Amino acid sequence: MRTNAGAFWTTIIALFLGVLVVTQIKAQDVYSRSLELETPSSLTTLIANLAERNNGLRDEIFDLRLRTETAREDAASGKGSLTEAQRQLAQLEVFAARTAVKGQGINVRVDGSFDDKALSDLVNELRNAGAEAVAVNGVRVGPRSWFGMNADRSLTVDASAIRGPWNVSAVGATEVMYVAMTRTGGIIGQFELIYRSTSFSVTKESGLALPSLANPPRG
Amino acid sequence: MLPALLFGLLVSLQWRTQQERSELTVRYNAPLLDAATTLQKEQDQLKADLAQLRAELDDIQRGAATQSTASRDLQAQIEELRAAAGLTERAGDGVVITLDDARSPSVTQANVDKSICHNTDLTDIVNTAWRGGAQAIAINDERIVGSSSVYCVGSTIMVNGTLMSPAFSVVIIGPQDKLLGAFDDPNELRDIKQRRDVYGLGFRVARQAQLKVPAYRGAMNIRYGTPQ
Repeated sequence: MRTNAGAFWTTIIALFLGVLVVTQIKAQDVYSRSLELETPSSLTTLIANLAERNNGLRDEIFDLRLRTETAREDAASGKGSLTEAQRQLAQLEVFAARTAVKGQGINVRVDGSFDDKALSDLVNELRNAGAEAVAVNGVRVGPRSWFGMNADRSLTVDASAIRGPWNVSAVGATEVMYVAMTRTGGIIGQFELIYRSTSFSVTKESGLALPSLANPPRG
Repeated sequence: MLPALLFGLLVSLQWRTQQERSELTVRYNAPLLDAATTLQKEQDQLKADLAQLRAELDDIQRGAATQSTASRDLQAQIEELRAAAGLTERAGDGVVITLDDARSPSVTQANVDKSICHNTDLTDIVNTAWRGGAQAIAINDERIVGSSSVYCVGSTIMVNGTLMSPAFSVVIIGPQDKLLGAFDDPNELRDIKQRRDVYGLGFRVARQAQLKVPAYRGAMNIRYGTPQ
Protein backbone atom coordinates (compact mmCIF):
# COMPACT_ATOMS: atom_id res chain seq x y z
CA MET A 1 0.00 0.00 0.00
CA ARG A 2 2.80 2.34 0.99
CA THR A 3 4.65 1.44 -2.25
CA ASN A 4 1.57 2.20 -4.38
CA ALA A 5 0.99 5.54 -2.69
CA GLY A 6 4.67 6.42 -3.16
CA ALA A 7 4.50 5.58 -6.88
CA PHE A 8 1.32 7.62 -7.26
CA TRP A 9 2.79 10.71 -5.68
CA THR A 10 6.07 10.30 -7.59
CA THR A 11 4.06 10.22 -10.83
CA ILE A 12 2.07 13.31 -9.89
CA ILE A 13 5.23 15.20 -8.96
CA ALA A 14 6.92 14.12 -12.20
CA LEU A 15 3.91 15.33 -14.25
CA PHE A 16 3.94 18.60 -12.38
CA LEU A 17 7.68 18.99 -12.97
CA GLY A 18 7.21 18.33 -16.68
CA VAL A 19 4.61 21.09 -16.94
CA LEU A 20 6.82 23.42 -14.90
CA VAL A 21 9.83 22.89 -17.17
CA VAL A 22 7.83 23.78 -20.27
CA THR A 23 6.23 26.77 -18.57
CA GLN A 24 9.66 28.02 -17.57
CA ILE A 25 11.06 27.64 -21.10
CA LYS A 26 8.03 29.33 -22.60
CA ALA A 27 8.16 32.19 -20.09
CA GLN A 28 11.65 33.02 -21.22
CA ASP A 29 10.35 33.14 -24.77
CA VAL A 30 7.09 34.93 -24.07
CA TYR A 31 7.98 37.55 -26.65
CA SER A 32 9.73 35.98 -29.56
CA ARG A 33 11.03 38.39 -32.19
CA SER A 34 11.12 35.96 -35.05
CA LEU A 35 10.05 37.35 -38.41
CA GLU A 36 8.00 34.16 -38.78
CA LEU A 37 5.72 35.38 -36.00
CA GLU A 38 4.82 38.68 -37.67
CA THR A 39 1.24 39.10 -38.84
CA PRO A 40 0.54 39.28 -42.61
CA SER A 41 -0.28 42.97 -42.14
CA SER A 42 3.11 43.70 -40.51
CA LEU A 43 4.93 41.63 -43.10
CA THR A 44 3.19 43.57 -45.88
CA THR A 45 4.30 46.86 -44.33
CA LEU A 46 7.85 45.55 -43.92
CA ILE A 47 7.88 44.43 -47.55
CA ALA A 48 6.67 47.85 -48.74
CA ASN A 49 9.41 49.51 -46.67
CA LEU A 50 12.11 47.19 -47.95
CA ALA A 51 10.96 47.58 -51.55
CA GLU A 52 10.96 51.37 -51.23
CA ARG A 53 14.50 51.37 -49.76
CA ASN A 54 15.75 49.00 -52.43
CA ASN A 55 14.28 51.20 -55.18
CA GLY A 56 16.12 54.18 -53.69
CA LEU A 57 19.35 52.20 -53.66
CA ARG A 58 18.83 51.06 -57.27
CA ASP A 59 18.20 54.65 -58.42
CA GLU A 60 21.37 55.86 -56.73
CA ILE A 61 23.42 52.97 -58.15
CA PHE A 62 22.13 53.73 -61.65
CA ASP A 63 22.99 57.40 -61.28
CA LEU A 64 26.40 56.67 -59.77
CA ARG A 65 27.30 54.21 -62.58
CA LEU A 66 26.69 56.92 -65.18
CA ARG A 67 28.67 59.48 -63.19
CA THR A 68 31.55 57.07 -62.61
CA GLU A 69 31.74 56.33 -66.33
CA THR A 70 31.70 60.03 -67.23
CA ALA A 71 34.31 60.85 -64.60
CA ARG A 72 36.53 58.04 -65.87
CA GLU A 73 36.26 59.29 -69.47
CA ASP A 74 36.92 62.89 -68.41
CA ALA A 75 39.95 61.86 -66.38
CA ALA A 76 41.31 59.75 -69.27
CA SER A 77 40.96 62.63 -71.72
CA GLY A 78 42.71 65.01 -69.30
CA LYS A 79 39.57 67.15 -68.83
CA GLY A 80 39.60 66.64 -65.09
CA SER A 81 36.38 66.09 -63.22
CA LEU A 82 35.37 69.47 -61.87
CA THR A 83 31.73 69.00 -62.88
CA GLU A 84 31.46 65.72 -61.01
CA ALA A 85 33.24 67.18 -57.98
CA GLN A 86 30.86 70.17 -57.92
CA ARG A 87 27.88 67.87 -58.21
CA GLN A 88 29.13 65.69 -55.37
CA LEU A 89 29.83 68.72 -53.23
CA ALA A 90 26.31 70.08 -53.76
CA GLN A 91 24.77 66.73 -52.82
CA LEU A 92 26.92 66.36 -49.72
CA GLU A 93 26.22 69.89 -48.57
CA VAL A 94 22.50 69.09 -48.53
CA PHE A 95 23.03 65.70 -46.91
CA ALA A 96 25.26 67.13 -44.16
CA ALA A 97 22.97 70.17 -43.66
CA ARG A 98 25.84 72.53 -44.51
CA THR A 99 23.88 74.60 -46.98
CA ALA A 100 20.52 76.32 -47.03
CA VAL A 101 18.05 74.23 -49.00
CA LYS A 102 14.93 74.99 -50.98
CA GLY A 103 12.34 72.65 -52.39
CA GLN A 104 8.91 71.12 -52.04
CA GLY A 105 7.79 69.30 -48.92
CA ILE A 106 5.48 69.55 -45.95
CA ASN A 107 5.07 71.57 -42.79
CA VAL A 108 3.80 70.12 -39.52
CA ARG A 109 2.46 72.77 -37.18
CA VAL A 110 2.22 71.84 -33.50
CA ASP A 111 0.34 74.27 -31.29
CA GLY A 112 0.07 73.40 -27.61
CA SER A 113 1.74 71.07 -25.17
CA PHE A 114 4.52 68.98 -26.74
CA ASP A 115 7.89 67.55 -25.65
CA ASP A 116 11.39 66.75 -26.85
CA LYS A 117 10.80 62.99 -27.17
CA ALA A 118 7.76 63.58 -29.37
CA LEU A 119 9.71 66.08 -31.49
CA SER A 120 12.49 63.52 -31.91
CA ASP A 121 9.91 60.88 -32.92
CA LEU A 122 8.34 63.27 -35.41
CA VAL A 123 11.71 64.01 -37.05
CA ASN A 124 12.46 60.26 -37.08
CA GLU A 125 9.16 59.63 -38.84
CA LEU A 126 9.82 62.37 -41.40
CA ARG A 127 13.25 60.90 -42.13
CA ASN A 128 11.69 57.49 -42.57
CA ALA A 129 9.33 59.02 -45.11
CA GLY A 130 12.34 60.32 -47.05
CA ALA A 131 12.82 63.87 -45.73
CA GLU A 132 16.02 65.28 -47.22
CA ALA A 133 16.23 68.33 -44.97
CA VAL A 134 14.39 69.23 -41.77
CA ALA A 135 14.14 72.43 -39.73
CA VAL A 136 12.17 73.30 -36.60
CA ASN A 137 11.08 76.93 -36.33
CA GLY A 138 13.86 77.84 -38.74
CA VAL A 139 16.57 75.88 -36.90
CA ARG A 140 18.08 73.28 -39.21
CA VAL A 141 18.34 69.74 -37.92
CA GLY A 142 21.71 68.17 -38.76
CA PRO A 143 23.18 64.66 -38.75
CA ARG A 144 24.22 64.99 -35.09
CA SER A 145 21.34 67.13 -33.84
CA TRP A 146 19.69 66.39 -30.53
CA PHE A 147 16.48 67.54 -28.93
CA GLY A 148 15.91 68.70 -25.39
CA MET A 149 13.42 70.50 -23.21
CA ASN A 150 13.91 73.44 -20.85
CA ALA A 151 12.24 73.96 -17.49
CA ASP A 152 9.90 76.54 -19.10
CA ARG A 153 8.68 73.77 -21.50
CA SER A 154 10.42 75.36 -24.49
CA LEU A 155 12.17 72.81 -26.68
CA THR A 156 15.74 72.86 -27.89
CA VAL A 157 17.45 71.79 -31.06
CA ASP A 158 21.22 71.53 -30.45
CA ALA A 159 20.76 73.77 -27.39
CA SER A 160 18.94 76.50 -29.38
CA ALA A 161 15.70 77.24 -27.55
CA ILE A 162 12.57 77.21 -29.71
CA ARG A 163 9.18 78.15 -28.36
CA GLY A 164 5.80 76.91 -29.52
CA PRO A 165 3.93 76.85 -31.73
CA TRP A 166 6.44 74.65 -33.51
CA ASN A 167 6.71 74.38 -37.26
CA VAL A 168 8.56 71.31 -38.39
CA SER A 169 9.39 71.74 -42.07
CA ALA A 170 10.70 68.94 -44.24
CA VAL A 171 11.92 69.06 -47.83
CA GLY A 172 11.28 65.88 -49.76
CA ALA A 173 8.57 64.02 -51.69
CA THR A 174 5.48 65.97 -50.65
CA GLU A 175 2.85 63.29 -51.21
CA VAL A 176 4.87 60.49 -49.60
CA MET A 177 5.60 62.52 -46.47
CA TYR A 178 2.06 63.89 -46.26
CA VAL A 179 0.52 60.41 -46.41
CA ALA A 180 3.09 59.05 -43.92
CA MET A 181 2.13 61.74 -41.41
CA THR A 182 -1.63 61.75 -41.85
CA ARG A 183 -2.45 58.08 -42.47
CA THR A 184 -4.82 56.35 -40.07
CA GLY A 185 -2.80 55.14 -37.09
CA GLY A 186 0.12 57.31 -38.16
CA ILE A 187 2.22 59.50 -35.92
CA ILE A 188 -0.06 62.54 -36.06
CA GLY A 189 -3.06 60.39 -35.17
CA GLN A 190 -1.12 59.00 -32.22
CA PHE A 191 -0.06 62.47 -31.10
CA GLU A 192 -3.69 63.63 -31.25
CA LEU A 193 -4.64 60.88 -28.83
CA ILE A 194 -1.77 61.63 -26.45
CA TYR A 195 -1.69 65.45 -26.57
CA ARG A 196 -5.42 66.02 -26.57
CA SER A 197 -5.32 69.79 -26.12
CA THR A 198 -2.67 70.31 -28.79
CA SER A 199 -3.55 71.03 -32.39
CA PHE A 200 -1.59 69.40 -35.21
CA SER A 201 -1.86 70.41 -38.83
CA VAL A 202 0.03 69.10 -41.82
CA THR A 203 0.25 71.19 -44.98
CA LYS A 204 1.80 70.57 -48.37
CA GLU A 205 4.37 73.19 -49.31
CA SER A 206 5.68 73.95 -52.79
CA GLY A 207 8.51 76.30 -51.89
CA LEU A 208 10.15 75.65 -48.54
CA ALA A 209 13.43 77.39 -47.74
CA LEU A 210 15.45 75.94 -44.87
CA PRO A 211 18.64 77.49 -43.50
CA SER A 212 21.94 75.66 -43.13
CA LEU A 213 23.10 74.18 -39.84
CA ALA A 214 23.94 77.08 -37.53
CA ASN A 215 26.94 75.48 -35.81
CA PRO A 216 28.25 72.44 -37.67
CA PRO A 217 29.93 70.11 -35.18
CA ARG A 218 33.68 69.74 -35.41
CA GLY A 219 35.63 66.55 -34.82
CA MET B 1 8.73 8.37 -13.08
CA LEU B 2 10.45 9.16 -16.39
CA PRO B 3 7.40 8.33 -18.54
CA ALA B 4 5.29 10.55 -16.30
CA LEU B 5 7.76 13.39 -16.64
CA LEU B 6 7.81 13.03 -20.42
CA PHE B 7 4.03 12.82 -20.54
CA GLY B 8 3.81 16.06 -18.53
CA LEU B 9 6.20 17.76 -20.93
CA LEU B 10 4.25 16.56 -23.96
CA VAL B 11 0.85 17.58 -22.65
CA SER B 12 2.11 21.01 -21.75
CA LEU B 13 3.93 21.55 -25.05
CA GLN B 14 0.96 20.39 -27.08
CA TRP B 15 -1.39 22.71 -25.23
CA ARG B 16 0.86 25.73 -25.66
CA THR B 17 1.63 25.02 -29.30
CA GLN B 18 -2.04 24.68 -30.23
CA GLN B 19 -2.76 27.96 -28.50
CA GLU B 20 -0.10 29.70 -30.58
CA ARG B 21 -0.99 28.07 -33.85
CA SER B 22 -4.56 29.28 -33.72
CA GLU B 23 -3.27 32.84 -33.55
CA LEU B 24 -0.21 32.68 -35.72
CA THR B 25 -0.68 30.22 -38.50
CA VAL B 26 -1.98 32.34 -41.30
CA ARG B 27 -2.37 31.31 -44.89
CA TYR B 28 -0.35 34.15 -46.38
CA ASN B 29 2.60 34.24 -44.00
CA ALA B 30 4.90 31.87 -45.86
CA PRO B 31 5.02 33.75 -49.20
CA LEU B 32 5.20 37.11 -47.40
CA LEU B 33 8.04 35.86 -45.25
CA ASP B 34 9.90 34.66 -48.34
CA ALA B 35 9.40 38.03 -50.02
CA ALA B 36 10.70 39.94 -46.97
CA THR B 37 13.76 37.70 -46.67
CA THR B 38 14.52 38.00 -50.38
CA LEU B 39 14.18 41.79 -50.29
CA GLN B 40 16.51 42.04 -47.28
CA LYS B 41 19.14 39.92 -49.06
CA GLU B 42 18.72 42.07 -52.16
CA GLN B 43 19.19 45.20 -50.03
CA ASP B 44 22.45 43.84 -48.56
CA GLN B 45 23.76 43.27 -52.08
CA LEU B 46 22.61 46.70 -53.28
CA LYS B 47 24.36 48.36 -50.34
CA ALA B 48 27.56 46.47 -51.13
CA ASP B 49 27.32 47.52 -54.81
CA LEU B 50 26.73 51.13 -53.81
CA ALA B 51 29.73 51.14 -51.47
CA GLN B 52 31.93 49.73 -54.22
CA LEU B 53 30.74 52.36 -56.72
CA ARG B 54 31.32 55.14 -54.21
CA ALA B 55 34.87 53.90 -53.64
CA GLU B 56 35.46 53.66 -57.40
CA LEU B 57 34.25 57.19 -58.07
CA ASP B 58 36.27 58.42 -55.13
CA ASP B 59 39.46 56.89 -56.59
CA ILE B 60 38.85 58.57 -59.95
CA GLN B 61 38.16 61.88 -58.22
CA ARG B 62 41.31 61.67 -56.12
CA GLY B 63 43.38 60.92 -59.21
CA ALA B 64 41.83 63.82 -61.12
CA ALA B 65 42.25 66.19 -58.17
CA THR B 66 45.99 66.26 -58.69
CA GLN B 67 45.48 68.08 -62.00
CA SER B 68 44.55 71.55 -60.69
CA THR B 69 44.39 73.61 -57.51
CA ALA B 70 40.62 74.09 -57.96
CA SER B 71 40.16 70.31 -58.15
CA ARG B 72 42.34 69.76 -55.08
CA ASP B 73 40.34 72.31 -53.06
CA LEU B 74 37.05 70.78 -54.12
CA GLN B 75 38.29 67.29 -53.29
CA ALA B 76 39.39 68.43 -49.82
CA GLN B 77 35.93 69.91 -49.20
CA ILE B 78 34.27 66.73 -50.43
CA GLU B 79 36.35 64.58 -48.11
CA GLU B 80 35.62 66.79 -45.13
CA LEU B 81 31.88 66.67 -45.88
CA ARG B 82 31.88 62.91 -46.45
CA ALA B 83 33.40 62.43 -43.01
CA ALA B 84 30.94 64.91 -41.44
CA ALA B 85 28.00 63.19 -43.13
CA GLY B 86 29.01 59.69 -41.94
CA LEU B 87 30.10 58.35 -45.32
CA THR B 88 33.50 57.25 -44.04
CA GLU B 89 34.45 54.68 -41.43
CA ARG B 90 35.47 56.12 -38.10
CA ALA B 91 37.62 54.71 -35.31
CA GLY B 92 38.20 55.89 -31.76
CA ASP B 93 37.35 55.49 -28.10
CA GLY B 94 33.82 55.75 -26.81
CA VAL B 95 31.04 53.78 -25.18
CA VAL B 96 28.95 50.78 -26.16
CA ILE B 97 25.31 50.49 -25.16
CA THR B 98 23.68 47.09 -25.11
CA LEU B 99 19.90 47.04 -25.27
CA ASP B 100 17.99 43.79 -25.12
CA ASP B 101 14.56 42.37 -24.32
CA ALA B 102 14.21 41.10 -20.76
CA ARG B 103 15.16 37.44 -20.60
CA SER B 104 13.68 36.88 -17.18
CA PRO B 105 11.13 34.14 -16.44
CA SER B 106 9.01 36.80 -14.75
CA VAL B 107 8.11 38.32 -18.13
CA THR B 108 4.43 37.77 -18.74
CA GLN B 109 1.98 38.86 -21.42
CA ALA B 110 0.77 41.54 -19.02
CA ASN B 111 4.14 43.28 -18.70
CA VAL B 112 5.70 42.29 -22.01
CA ASP B 113 5.41 45.80 -23.43
CA LYS B 114 7.61 47.18 -20.65
CA SER B 115 10.06 44.28 -20.85
CA ILE B 116 11.05 44.57 -24.49
CA CYS B 117 12.97 47.20 -26.41
CA HIS B 118 11.19 49.54 -28.78
CA ASN B 119 12.40 51.72 -31.63
CA THR B 120 11.79 54.78 -29.45
CA ASP B 121 14.30 53.40 -26.91
CA LEU B 122 16.89 53.42 -29.65
CA THR B 123 16.02 56.94 -30.80
CA ASP B 124 16.22 58.10 -27.17
CA ILE B 125 19.66 56.49 -26.78
CA VAL B 126 20.86 58.10 -30.02
CA ASN B 127 19.51 61.48 -28.89
CA THR B 128 21.34 61.19 -25.54
CA ALA B 129 24.54 60.18 -27.33
CA TRP B 130 24.49 63.22 -29.64
CA ARG B 131 23.74 65.37 -26.63
CA GLY B 132 26.76 63.82 -24.90
CA GLY B 133 29.05 64.84 -27.73
CA ALA B 134 29.04 61.67 -29.85
CA GLN B 135 30.98 61.95 -33.10
CA ALA B 136 29.78 58.75 -34.74
CA ILE B 137 27.09 56.19 -33.90
CA ALA B 138 26.13 52.81 -35.32
CA ILE B 139 23.31 50.48 -34.30
CA ASN B 140 24.16 46.86 -35.10
CA ASP B 141 26.62 48.15 -37.71
CA GLU B 142 24.16 50.54 -39.35
CA ARG B 143 25.67 54.04 -39.27
CA ILE B 144 23.38 56.78 -38.01
CA VAL B 145 23.38 59.75 -40.40
CA GLY B 146 21.18 62.76 -41.15
CA SER B 147 18.65 60.66 -43.06
CA SER B 148 18.60 57.70 -40.68
CA SER B 149 15.40 56.45 -39.14
CA VAL B 150 14.67 53.78 -36.58
CA TYR B 151 11.35 52.33 -37.54
CA CYS B 152 9.19 49.64 -36.01
CA VAL B 153 6.75 47.33 -37.76
CA GLY B 154 5.13 44.69 -35.60
CA SER B 155 7.99 43.45 -33.46
CA THR B 156 10.65 44.04 -36.10
CA ILE B 157 12.85 47.11 -36.00
CA MET B 158 14.38 48.66 -39.09
CA VAL B 159 17.42 50.93 -38.98
CA ASN B 160 18.25 52.59 -42.29
CA GLY B 161 15.74 50.17 -43.80
CA THR B 162 17.59 47.08 -42.53
CA LEU B 163 15.63 44.50 -40.54
CA MET B 164 16.95 43.99 -37.01
CA SER B 165 16.08 42.17 -33.81
CA PRO B 166 17.49 42.50 -30.29
CA ALA B 167 20.04 42.46 -28.85
CA PHE B 168 21.11 45.88 -30.08
CA SER B 169 24.66 47.09 -29.81
CA VAL B 170 24.92 50.87 -30.09
CA VAL B 171 28.54 51.78 -30.72
CA ILE B 172 29.27 55.41 -29.95
CA ILE B 173 32.58 57.16 -30.63
CA GLY B 174 33.21 60.37 -28.73
CA PRO B 175 34.50 61.85 -25.47
CA GLN B 176 34.05 58.97 -23.03
CA ASP B 177 33.61 60.94 -19.80
CA LYS B 178 31.09 63.31 -21.31
CA LEU B 179 29.17 60.44 -22.90
CA LEU B 180 29.13 58.43 -19.67
CA GLY B 181 28.00 61.56 -17.83
CA ALA B 182 25.10 61.96 -20.26
CA PHE B 183 24.01 58.32 -19.89
CA ASP B 184 24.40 58.44 -16.09
CA ASP B 185 22.32 61.62 -15.84
CA PRO B 186 19.18 60.52 -13.92
CA ASN B 187 17.07 62.82 -16.10
CA GLU B 188 18.14 61.00 -19.25
CA LEU B 189 16.53 57.73 -20.37
CA ARG B 190 14.40 57.56 -17.24
CA ASP B 191 11.90 55.19 -18.80
CA ILE B 192 14.56 52.74 -20.00
CA LYS B 193 16.34 52.75 -16.65
CA GLN B 194 13.09 52.20 -14.78
CA ARG B 195 12.15 49.27 -17.05
CA ARG B 196 15.62 47.82 -16.54
CA ASP B 197 15.22 48.01 -12.77
CA VAL B 198 11.62 46.82 -12.59
CA TYR B 199 11.12 44.54 -15.58
CA GLY B 200 14.64 43.33 -16.32
CA LEU B 201 15.03 45.15 -19.66
CA GLY B 202 18.61 44.67 -20.82
CA PHE B 203 20.41 48.03 -20.75
CA ARG B 204 24.15 48.31 -20.19
CA VAL B 205 26.58 51.15 -20.77
CA ALA B 206 30.28 50.31 -21.06
CA ARG B 207 33.36 52.41 -21.68
CA GLN B 208 35.36 50.92 -24.53
CA ALA B 209 38.53 51.80 -26.40
CA GLN B 210 39.41 51.40 -30.08
CA LEU B 211 35.91 51.18 -31.43
CA LYS B 212 35.03 51.16 -35.11
CA VAL B 213 31.92 52.55 -36.70
CA PRO B 214 31.32 51.65 -40.36
CA ALA B 215 30.52 54.13 -43.11
CA TYR B 216 26.89 54.71 -44.06
CA ARG B 217 26.00 52.25 -46.82
CA GLY B 218 22.55 53.49 -47.77
CA ALA B 219 21.37 55.85 -50.47
CA MET B 220 21.58 59.63 -50.07
CA ASN B 221 18.59 60.17 -52.35
CA ILE B 222 18.79 63.94 -52.69
CA ARG B 223 16.08 64.55 -55.28
CA TYR B 224 13.94 67.40 -54.09
CA GLY B 225 16.27 69.65 -52.12
CA THR B 226 18.53 72.06 -53.98
CA PRO B 227 21.23 74.19 -52.35
CA GLN B 228 20.25 77.85 -52.15
